[in-house]
Amino acid sequence: MDQISALLKRAMPFQMVGPDVLASIAGLAKWKSHAKGDVIYQMGAEADDIYLVSSGSVQHTMTGNNGAAAIEKTMRSGDVFGWAAVMPAQARLATTVCLERTELVRINGAALINLFKSSPVIGDVVMSRFATMITREFGIASSVADKVRRLPQGARSTAELKVQSAPPTGLALTMFRFSQWISSPKPYLMLTGFAILLGLWHFTVTVWELPRFESMPGLTVVVKEMFSQNPVYGLSVFTPEYYQHIGVSVRRVAIAFFLATVLGVSLGLFLGWSKKFREFVFPVFEILRPIPILAWVPLAILMFAGTETPVIFLTFLASFFATALNTMLGVESIDESYSRAAYCLGANKWQVFREVITPGAMPFIFTGLQISVGVAWFSLVAGEMVSGQFGLGYVINTAYTMVTYPTIIIGMITLGFVGYTTSAMVRFAGNYMMQWRVRELALGGN
Amino acid sequence: MNSVLQGSGNTRQIATQGAIRIEEVVKIYDPDGAAVMAVDHCSLDIPAGEICMIVGPSGCGKTTLLNAIAGFHSITSGKIFLDGKLLCGPGKPQADPGSDRIVVFQNGALFPWKTNIDNVAFGPLMQGKMGKKEIYEKARSMMADAGLSGTEQNYPGEVSSGLRRRVEIVRALMNDPKVLLFDEPYRALDSLTKSVMHEALLEIYYKNKVTIFFITHDLEEAIFLGHRMVIMTTRPCRPKKILAVDIPHPRDYSVLTSPRFRELMDETVELVHEEAKKSFAAGEKEG
Repeated sequence: MDQISALLKRAMPFQMVGPDVLASIAGLAKWKSHAKGDVIYQMGAEADDIYLVSSGSVQHTMTGNNGAAAIEKTMRSGDVFGWAAVMPAQARLATTVCLERTELVRINGAALINLFKSSPVIGDVVMSRFATMITREFGIASSVADKVRRLPQGARSTAELKVQSAPPTGLALTMFRFSQWISSPKPYLMLTGFAILLGLWHFTVTVWELPRFESMPGLTVVVKEMFSQNPVYGLSVFTPEYYQHIGVSVRRVAIAFFLATVLGVSLGLFLGWSKKFREFVFPVFEILRPIPILAWVPLAILMFAGTETPVIFLTFLASFFATALNTMLGVESIDESYSRAAYCLGANKWQVFREVITPGAMPFIFTGLQISVGVAWFSLVAGEMVSGQFGLGYVINTAYTMVTYPTIIIGMITLGFVGYTTSAMVRFAGNYMMQWRVRELALGGN
Repeated sequence: MNSVLQGSGNTRQIATQGAIRIEEVVKIYDPDGAAVMAVDHCSLDIPAGEICMIVGPSGCGKTTLLNAIAGFHSITSGKIFLDGKLLCGPGKPQADPGSDRIVVFQNGALFPWKTNIDNVAFGPLMQGKMGKKEIYEKARSMMADAGLSGTEQNYPGEVSSGLRRRVEIVRALMNDPKVLLFDEPYRALDSLTKSVMHEALLEIYYKNKVTIFFITHDLEEAIFLGHRMVIMTTRPCRPKKILAVDIPHPRDYSVLTSPRFRELMDETVELVHEEAKKSFAAGEKEG
């Protein structure tokens, strides 16, 4: 049974199905072995079962309409054929013959449809994937594929059909992906990676005491300090200061990142869109951009009063350049035919900007934002080390001067986690706003 | 709607609009000070409702002509008219792009960030001519007519390339254009999908009164679809021979095996081959 589930999971139409339903589908399946040359079914025969190839290969020959040339296709392990069985009152559209010794799994079409009636959402996903597969792999006209697409709704009203046939979006899609991720080897490989890093740290510092490493805080010391109710050096997850520092840093990054995104995206869009605007802004931009953020520190302190604003300014600056540049590149990457098509269809310049340029640059904008949130943390810490009263950069710098080494590591680990979280949030926002891209990639088998 | 003129070999839709007149058009590109003549005193009359196939080797300058009609490029001299109205000519080197002439692009230009139905509704939405509800009703029914129901909420990237082309044509037809300009739209498709697309295109054409200006380098495609085919010389581009395809419409794929089809192939293949050789010798780039 597990073997059938695994096989189903590999087949394109069933990839999105959760383990429970998959098990019930597997319950309907029967194994069958065929010898070379066995005819599995003839064109025109009554369609009862759909088939999955487990091993071996099957020749699938479909004769087109009006005597058009036959379409031949060899089905191999993981391929699905015989989908006429899930179409209403459809005879076989092709003839299939085993090319070698072949192991097949057959599932009764009517039983499958019945099963889907009890879980219509999953049924819809499978059926629409069937339809996609048929059009893509067999070049079948969509009108035929449509029969498949619409099938499981039989009893339901058309209004319901509209809702049900929408592919999973938003949260549902994310949940699908999470369940797929957790059942793949990926999370375990990830844990192994972490284990290696921590192991190296522990052995080089505490066990082997390599030269130059002896004064570094060891893994056990840091962990003990970090989770201690009474930390020796005054900072652990149980002290309120810890969260105060995180809060201050996050607030600075949030303000700077927000400003950088608003200003950077708008500047980038205009830079890419208007040649004239670009001619006089871009050269200035290109001279300012390579100046390292640390070189701005004195000027930032001179220009802005207090300790808060200079740090935010420095953080903002780095993010802003990254976002603006990537947005501009995004606009340039848009194929000219999109804006031409929009003009053809009667859009004016402003509409093209709103409907074509902005969404078209979106993938690049979000790549830029990923980079931007990273450099925001980078320059924040640089800024906090130089000026500032609170924040994770301040923690690390003070800990160094006060020779409280475990606190440095606590600050670093915290930066890693907080930085990763913000980056993940940006990615999540990007996927949410670009469903079209997520779904395109999902069909590409990613 | 479904009125096809039967009778003479050269039947076409009874369309009252969409006649294109190209008069002595010249286009000279001057990228680095080296003038390149892309189109040389090209004249062509396309009556309303005709499928006119422009045949020539890749890079011969046919796309330049299409871009001039669509309003993407200026012309150096000459005139182009649509229904007697000047699109571009002296004093107005570049036509304004408009929804009366819609281009179906070589690599497809459906907006990947919009669902199929949002793509189809795009034109009227932008022009603001109808109410939103009305637009989506029309879009739904036109998509259903073209066998596209069920894919409305999909993004273009989720459907087959053949379906995408069809959505793109429906998107154009939503605007009741007078002329559809095809820039080798089926070039990237495999021959099986292509044959399905050809029949689908004719089916759509028989239902809608439009003039079709269709660029291709595929002779079979040209003869199968066209009322007339215009064989172009390689750069500079001008009509070398204009040929009526006297196979009656409506056509289906059985035409491909008819003796007349073979004869026309034989008549034209030499002409086209000659130009292709010239183009190859001149080292023209693909495009």
